[in-house]
Amino acid sequence: MNKILLIIKREYLTRVRKKTFIISTILFPLLYLALIFGMGYLGEKGKSRLRVAIIDSSGYFDKGKIERENLKDSSSILRLVTDNPDSLKKNFTDQGYDGFIIIPQHASWEQGINEPLQTSRTLGIGSAAQVEKKLNSIWDEIKNEKLGIDENKKMILNSSRVNIIPKNIKDETADSGVASTIGYVAGFLIYLILLIYGSQVMMGVMEEKTNRIAEVIVSSVKPFQLMLGKILGIGLVALTQFLLWIAFIFIIYNITKAGGSGMMSGVVGQVQKVFAGINIPLILFCFGFYFLGGFFFYSSLYAAIGSAVNEDMREAQSLSFPVTMLVIFSIAIMTVTISEPTGKLAVWASIIPFSSPIVMMARIPFGVPGTVPWWQLGLSMGLLIAGFIFTVWLSGKIYRTGILMYGKKPSWKEMLKWAFRKN
Amino acid sequence: MPILELHHLRKYFATQKAVDDISLTIEKGQIFGLLGPNGAGKTTLIRMITGIFYPDEGDIFFDGKKFDPINDISKIGYMPEERGLYKKMKIGEQTEYLAQLKGLKRSEANRKIKEWFIKFDMHTWWNKKVEDLSKGMSQKLQFVTTVLHEPKLIILDEPFSGLDPVNTNLIKDEIYNLAQKGATIIFSTHRMEQVEEICDHIALVNKGQKILDGTVKQVKQDFKEHLFKVSFADHVTPEHLAIHLFEVKKKDDNEVVIKVDPGYSNNDVLQYFINKGLRIESFNEILPSLNDIFIRLVGNTPTARQFQEVTA
Ligand SMILES: Nc1ncnc2c1ncn2[C@@H]1O[C@H](COP(=O)(O)OP(=O)(O)OP(=O)(O)O)[C@@H](O)[C@H]1O
Ligand SMILES: [Mg+2]
Repeated sequence: MNKILLIIKREYLTRVRKKTFIISTILFPLLYLALIFGMGYLGEKGKSRLRVAIIDSSGYFDKGKIERENLKDSSSILRLVTDNPDSLKKNFTDQGYDGFIIIPQHASWEQGINEPLQTSRTLGIGSAAQVEKKLNSIWDEIKNEKLGIDENKKMILNSSRVNIIPKNIKDETADSGVASTIGYVAGFLIYLILLIYGSQVMMGVMEEKTNRIAEVIVSSVKPFQLMLGKILGIGLVALTQFLLWIAFIFIIYNITKAGGSGMMSGVVGQVQKVFAGINIPLILFCFGFYFLGGFFFYSSLYAAIGSAVNEDMREAQSLSFPVTMLVIFSIAIMTVTISEPTGKLAVWASIIPFSSPIVMMARIPFGVPGTVPWWQLGLSMGLLIAGFIFTVWLSGKIYRTGILMYGKKPSWKEMLKWAFRKN
Repeated sequence: MPILELHHLRKYFATQKAVDDISLTIEKGQIFGLLGPNGAGKTTLIRMITGIFYPDEGDIFFDGKKFDPINDISKIGYMPEERGLYKKMKIGEQTEYLAQLKGLKRSEANRKIKEWFIKFDMHTWWNKKVEDLSKGMSQKLQFVTTVLHEPKLIILDEPFSGLDPVNTNLIKDEIYNLAQKGATIIFSTHRMEQVEEICDHIALVNKGQKILDGTVKQVKQDFKEHLFKVSFADHVTPEHLAIHLFEVKKKDDNEVVIKVDPGYSNNDVLQYFINKGLRIESFNEILPSLNDIFIRLVGNTPTARQFQEVTA
C-alpha cells in the first residue's frame, strides 16, 4: 500500500511540476474563451454594413419611412434614389453603393415583393438578411397603413401571442435550456479528460517499458501496483487541473461581483438566476464520480495497450483505436441524448458502463429524479464501478505479461489470452 | 543454511521451454555464476527468483522459508540485463525513489546514497538527469540502486557489460566486499574469465536445463584431461619421449605438454624422466579453463536456440 503511495506521488509530482502542466492549465481556459469570443467576433465581422440604393417605381416607399428605419436599425444603410435603372446599374459602385434593388411598378402590397439585391460582388447570406429584415419592417408599416391598423391595434398584434415553455411537473426546477448547456459542457469535459489523460497513461506506460525501468520496478512492487499507481497519479493530476479551473472561475466570479460595475453585476445576477434552478451539489458530485469512474475504466485499458506495444506510436494508435472509438461513440450518443434525455437510447447508454460517464453526465442536469430516476442513477453508478473493477483487473493481467514482452506487437486476441490464462 | 533453494522449477512459454526442471542450491555468502549460452533460460530463471514471473511448476525457498515475493523482494537486489532508469528524472531523486520502493525510509535512503556516491565518485551527479550520463556511468548508478538497500541476495545480470577496466575493477571489488559482509551474489554472464576470477560456485544452463553445477575448483577437476606441462634444464629429443606412459600434445626445445595415460600416476612419469637423466625444472598440471568446458558442453548445440512447439 505504502508503495502505491510512493508511485502515485512520483507520477503526480513529475507531471504537476512540468511546465506543460502549468501552461496548459492557464492556457486552456483562455483558449476556450478566445475561441468563443473569436467565433462571435468573426461572425459579426463577417456581416458587413451594406449601402443599398432603392429605385421605387411602385410608389409605396418614401424617403421619410426609409430614413426613420435607418435611424432605428443601422446594420445597413438604405437610400431612395431616382436615377433610371440602367444608369444606376452602370455606376452604383462609383456612387458608393454596395448594391441596389428595383421595386417594380406592378408591386402590390397584398402580394409582397420578390426582387434581387443586385451587387457587383458575392454577399454572405447574413448581410442580405439584414437588408431584407429592414425592408420588411418598412413593408409592415406600409401594410398596416393600407389595412388601417393604428398604433393600438398594432400593439395588440405584436404582443398578444401564445407562449409555451416545457415544464417538468415532477421536477419544478429543471430548465431545459440551461440543462442542455450544462449537460453538454459536462459531457464534453469528461470526453476530453478520457482522451487526453487516457493517452497520458498509455504514453507513461510505454515510457517505462521502452526505458526498461519497468523490470527494475517490478522487482520491487507488483506490476499491478505499478499500473494502479500510475493511473491514480495521473487521475490526481487531472483532478488538480479541474479544481484549479473551478477555483479560477470562482475567483473571477467573485471579483466581478465585488467590482459591481453596472453591466457586470447584471451578468452576475443573470448567472445567479440561471443556477438557482439547478441542483449544483448533485451535479458536482456526479461529475466527480463519473469523471473518476470513466477515467479508471478507460485509462486502465489504455495502460494495457501501452504495456503491449513497443516504442512505435503507430502501433499504439492502431491498438488503441477500438478504445478511442468507444469514447467518440459515447459523445455521439450524447448529442442525441441532449435533444431527448428520456429516450430509450439515452437511458440505456447512460446505464451501460462504457458510455455512461459521458451520457449520464449529459442527462443529470435535466433533473434527478425527474428525468433520471434514482434507480437509473444508482444502477449506472453501480455498473460503472463493476465495469472499472473489471477493466482494471483485465488490464492488470495484460499489463503483467506485456510490460516485460519485447518484440512483435500482439493482437487484441493475444492480449485477451494473456488476460485469461491462469497466473 | 542455503539462502536459496530451487526445486524443479519450470517455466514454459508458448514457443519455448524457457526453464525446464531446474534445481539449485545456493549457500549464504557465495558468489554464484549462472552461465549458459544465449537463450538458455538464465534471465527467465532469474525473473522467477526475483518474483517477476511465477513458476509454472516447482518451489523456491528463500532463507529457509517458502519464497513470498511480496515480503521477500525487499531483501533482494536485482540488476536486469537491460538497464533501465527514468531518463528525465534527477539522479538523486530517482535513487531515493527506488530505495524507498525497496522499503527504505527517505532519510535513511538519502544517507546511504550519499555514502555510495562519495565512494563511487558520483557526488556531483545528484541534480543531473540520467539522460546526461554515458552508458557506463548509468551502469554504475544502476549498480548503486541495486545494492543500496543492503539486500541479502544480489542478482546481477551481466554486471560488467559496458564498463571500462577501471570501473569493472571498482564493481568487482564491491562485489567481493558485499560477499565479505555476508551478502550472496548471483550473476549471469558469458565472460568466462570473469567467472573464473570472481565466482566460487557455478551452474551451467543450456536449453532450459542445468547441465553442470559445482565449485569452480571441482568443475575444473571433473573436466581435467590429465594434461601436464613439464620443463627441463636440458634439451629434449624425441628419443626421450616413450609412448606407453603418456601422449605428447606439444613439444618445444625444453618443454613438453603431455597427457598421462590412464593407469599411470604422476610419480611414474617423473620417475621415467629422471631415469632418462633429464633435469626437471617444473611439473604442472594444466586444468581446463571454464571457457573450454563451456565450449565442450554446449559447443555442439546450434548457435541460436531453436523455437519449439510447447504442449502442456
Ligand atoms: N516473455 C517471453 N515470452 C515468450 N518466450 C520467452 C519470453 N522470455 C523468454 N522467452 C524465451 O525463453 C528462452 C529463454 O530466454 P532467456 O531470456 O531466459 O534466455 P537467457 O539465457 O537470458 O539468454 P541471454 O543470454 O541471451 O540473455 C528464449 O528462447 C526466449 O525466446
Ligand atoms: Mg538473459
